[in-house]
Amino acid sequence: MPSSRQSIYLIGDFMLVEEFGEMCHAKDVRILYRLNSKNSQKPLPAYFKQQSSPPRNASIVVELTNSDSTVKKKNLHLLEKSIPRTTPILSSSVTTTVTEQSTWLKHSDRLVGISGFPTLISQKLCEIAPSIHTKRETITKASEFFFTLGKQVAIVQDRIGMVMPRILCMLINEAVFALMENIASPRDIDTAMKLGTNYPSGPIEWADRIGVKNVCDVLMALQGDLHEERYRISPLLQVMATGQQWWHT
Amino acid sequence: MKTIGIVGAGIMGRGIAYLAALSGFDILLHDLSEDILKQAMQRISSDLRKGVEKGKITSQQASEVSSKLHPRTSLDDFKECEIVIEAIIESLEIKKETFKKLDEMCPPQTILATNTSSLSVTSIASSVGEPTRVVGMHFFNPPYVMKLVEVVHGHQTSERTLQRTVELARQLGRTPVVVKDTPGFIVNRIARPFYGEALRLLGEGVASVEDIDRIVKLEGGFTMGPFELMDLIGTDVNLAVTKSIYERTFGEPRYRPHIIQQTMVDAGLWGRKTKRGFYTYDS
Repeated sequence: MPSSRQSIYLIGDFMLVEEFGEMCHAKDVRILYRLNSKNSQKPLPAYFKQQSSPPRNASIVVELTNSDSTVKKKNLHLLEKSIPRTTPILSSSVTTTVTEQSTWLKHSDRLVGISGFPTLISQKLCEIAPSIHTKRETITKASEFFFTLGKQVAIVQDRIGMVMPRILCMLINEAVFALMENIASPRDIDTAMKLGTNYPSGPIEWADRIGVKNVCDVLMALQGDLHEERYRISPLLQVMATGQQWWHT
Repeated sequence: MKTIGIVGAGIMGRGIAYLAALSGFDILLHDLSEDILKQAMQRISSDLRKGVEKGKITSQQASEVSSKLHPRTSLDDFKECEIVIEAIIESLEIKKETFKKLDEMCPPQTILATNTSSLSVTSIASSVGEPTRVVGMHFFNPPYVMKLVEVVHGHQTSERTLQRTVELARQLGRTPVVVKDTPGFIVNRIARPFYGEALRLLGEGVASVEDIDRIVKLEGGFTMGPFELMDLIGTDVNLAVTKSIYERTFGEPRYRPHIIQQTMVDAGLWGRKTKRGFYTYDS
């Protein structure tokens, strides 16, 4: 547990800010935040303090936008002009590589990518992806921050989807292809994966918790990056993401 | 249903026989080889003894189970069975021949089920005069531990056949899921990207074998990482499943095998069973 109370500034998509904030709150880190959309799905708890720009004394700032790279760029500009030169910026690099993000900043050596993805943030490990510009000190500070939250880290190469979000979104895409082809019911697909191969959650119910739009954003970014038919989004998933419809299993 | 016929006394056949006898059914267990049949019966006896020693079953239950198991080297008595579950080698030709024999032997109401994991149930059914009575009943290994049974709806399987098979799976204390006859059914198909993407991440140098497994377990909450699991399944078996689904879908890119898999198989690094795979195993 940190000796003096740390402050963290979170900016980005609602679900990611909420999950990241809850994880910090559990370790007594003070949360200041700003959301991309003013119309949040539900109110955040009172220990989340809204603030339009980060305080100069924030120990760490985190950018958590996967949905829109224009918004992400704006947020990173705001962070860069508001905080001291040495404060590390952690940024979700699931749909945009941290290397690309680093081209948006003047001082990209304090920028490092993290695997910010719904349902995974609150787990026991966070992936960290440095760009070629990231200073060793930035990686160390980011790792130490996650250690204070009781988490492990894994340093991975800067690639769209990183490790776990990529595997998970591809599993969900395959399950939705199976659903689209009507080979089994959503419930039976989930049951089969939990009992047949011991998955912690069925892929359909997992997609429901993540939000299909968030899954689609990663798959679209993977397809744009790797240009392989393998990463083609299931038409059903695409329709559900566009229609903002979730499954009810 | 009272009597279940099981064709093939290998690992799956004897596992299903054990489970079904424990659930109170009379079992005819068939194999062409007397040796394999003898080994299967010995193995079941020793499993029963262990069960008694561990207090999982009473000695009376154990002797009841033994009395319910009848080894057979001929299919003559199989006409008594209400359902026959085939668990022989994964060869379409041999399975078709077996189903043809069963078709001749068993009355029309007998359900003919196959435990295939990779072949087309529809194709196997085509060797039978009345394909509506053919169904897939895919158990997982070992059948008395793994709760799942994929009940596979062949192209011509009747609703009665399907419902009776679902009911039987429940009577065996399993959880049935119904799936259309498509390559890999549910589990083997949807699990493909778990291995496929892990192999691509490794191939692209994004992370090491150890780190990918650690990430999948700690960030994803999975019990085992993809490389640990490939070692457990056998890298050869895993490649064979991948190839089978890839070929049966006429080269769908989502199922394309990775060269790392082939290299592991070529090198004889088949996982735990060869003591070396993505990891090395002592003793």
